[in-house]
Amino acid sequence: GDSWGIFTFLCAALCNLPALPALNCSEELGAGQSIQQTYDLTRYLEHQLRTLAGTYLNYLGPPFNEPDFNPPRMARAERVPSATVDLDLWRGLTDNARLAANYRAYSRLLCYLRVLDGQVGTAELRHRLSHFCASLQGLVLSIGGVMSSLGYPLPAGPVGPPGPPGASAAPNDFLKKMDDFWLLKELQTWLWRSAKDFNRLKKKVPPAVVTLRLEARGF
Amino acid sequence: DSHVQYERVGADVTMKCGSMDWDAAVTWTANGTDIDESHLNGSYLILKNVGLSQSGQYFCYEGSSWHLKYQTNLRVGTPPKEPVLMCRSNNYPKGFYCSWHLPTPTYIPNFFNISVIHGTKDMVCEKDSPPKNRCHIKYLQLFSTVKYKVTLTVTNALGKNFTTLTFDEFAIVKPDPPESVVAKPVPNNPRRLEVSWQNPSSWPDPESFPLKFFLRYRPLILDQWQHVELSDGTSHTITDAYAGKEYIIQVAAKDSDIGTWSDWSVAVHATPWTEEPKHLTTEAQITETTSVSTSSFMAPPTTKICDKGAVVGSGAMAVCWTAGLVVAAYSVLFI
Repeated sequence: GDSWGIFTFLCAALCNLPALPALNCSEELGAGQSIQQTYDLTRYLEHQLRTLAGTYLNYLGPPFNEPDFNPPRMARAERVPSATVDLDLWRGLTDNARLAANYRAYSRLLCYLRVLDGQVGTAELRHRLSHFCASLQGLVLSIGGVMSSLGYPLPAGPVGPPGPPGASAAPNDFLKKMDDFWLLKELQTWLWRSAKDFNRLKKKVPPAVVTLRLEARGF
Repeated sequence: DSHVQYERVGADVTMKCGSMDWDAAVTWTANGTDIDESHLNGSYLILKNVGLSQSGQYFCYEGSSWHLKYQTNLRVGTPPKEPVLMCRSNNYPKGFYCSWHLPTPTYIPNFFNISVIHGTKDMVCEKDSPPKNRCHIKYLQLFSTVKYKVTLTVTNALGKNFTTLTFDEFAIVKPDPPESVVAKPVPNNPRRLEVSWQNPSSWPDPESFPLKFFLRYRPLILDQWQHVELSDGTSHTITDAYAGKEYIIQVAAKDSDIGTWSDWSVAVHATPWTEEPKHLTTEAQITETTSVSTSSFMAPPTTKICDKGAVVGSGAMAVCWTAGLVVAAYSVLFI
C-alpha cells in the first residue's frame, strides 16, 4: 500500500509534463527538474505571502502592521523552527540535511498555519489562508518528492497537529498576536532561505540522473 | 595661554583679555590685523553676530608693554544637523557596510559614533580607514528574522544629533554594477550587437548566490530605452538594432531572489556591422577602369568578412572559406 503510493507519486512528480505518457519515467527529467519546480514554488509562495501577511497584520492591528515594528524574540516563539543559521554551517550542509531542514520546517509551519486558519475572523482571511495552506502543502510534497528521487528518507516526526492545545496556548490576546506575528515572520524568512537552498541544490544535483531506489523499498 | 574657542554662527562673543582688569589698556588683533576700538568694551572684545569669516587667531596685548596676555583660536561653526545614513550589502552573504555624511557642513570638527544592534546583541562595525565615513560588519548568521538597528550619532563642540535605520538582512542587498561591459557588432548582421559583461568583483559567491541582469539599450538619436531582463548568463545578443545607428548600452545586476537592482553600469557605445559602401572610387577612377562590372565584384578585404575575433565556432570559418572561393571564382571569370 505505502510503497505503491510512493511509486505513483514519484512518477507523477517526475513525469508531469503533459506530452509524456503517465508511466514513462524518462531519465532526462530527474531530480534537477523537481528542484527547479520546488524553487519556483518557493518564489510563488513568497509572492503570495506578501499579500497574505499584509492582510493578516492589518487584521491584527497596530503595532503589528507598522513597518518598523521590531519586537524582541521571546523564548516561547522558538517552537517554530528557525531559518537562521551560521553561514559556514549553512554552506556545509549535505544535500540530505538541507532538504530535510526545509521539509521539517514547512511541515511544522503548515500545521501552525492550519490552526490559525481555524481561528481567524474574516471570510477574506480564511479564504486567503486556506489557499496559502494548499500551496504550502504542495511545497511540502514537492520537497518530499525531491528527497525520494534522490534516495533520501523523509524526516520522521510530528506531521499532525502540534501537541495538546492547552500546552502552547498564549496566556493573553496580545501574546497570541505576537505568536501569529512571529509565525508569519518565520515563514517569510524560510521562503527567502529556501530560494537560496534550492539554488544551491540546482547546481549540485546533476539534472540527468535519476535513481528510483525500488530495490531498497522491497519491491 | 592659548586654547580653541567654538562659537555658533550668529552668536554674540565676548573675549576677555586673560586676567587683565576691565579698564586696562589693551590691543586686540585678529589674524595679524589690529582690531578697531569700536569693538572694545574696556578691555573686552565684543563680536556681535559672528560669521564664518571671523574664525581665526585672536591675540590680546597689554597696551604699553606689548606683552601677549591672551590668545585664542576662534572657530565659528554650527551644531550638526541630522546626519544622512545609508547601509547596504554589496557583498551578500558576507556582510554589509554603512556610510554617512552631514547634509550641511558645520565648519568645525565632528565626531561620529555608530552602533549596530541585532536583537539583543551589540555588533561592532569596523571603521574603514580614517578619511572615509564608512564602516563594515560581517554577518554572523544568515537568514535572520530579527532586524538590524543602526544608530549614528554625530557630536561637535556646539551640539549633537543622530539618526537611526532599521532593516531586515534581505532588504539592503544591492550589488555593485556589472563590470567590463563590452558591446561588439556581429559581422554580416546589420541589426545585431553582441553584449557581454562580468559579475561585479565585490560579489563573493555568484555560484550559490546567482545574479540576474537587466540590460537597456537605445540608439543615441532616440530617448526611449529598450529593456531585456536576463535570469542568468553574462551575455546577450541584441537582434533588433537599427542598422547603422550608434547605440548606448548599460547593464544592471540584482541578486536573483532578494534586494534591489544595482546602479547602471558604465555605458558602452557600439554600432552594428554595416556593409562597406561600394562606391568608394572617385569619378576619374571609374572612367579609367576597363569594366565597371569588375570593380563591383571586387572582394572587400577578407579580414572584414572573416573577423576572427567575432566569429564563433568552426562552422562560420567554413562559410568564410567558401565565400572567399566564390569571390575568387567570380573575379577569375571577369578578368
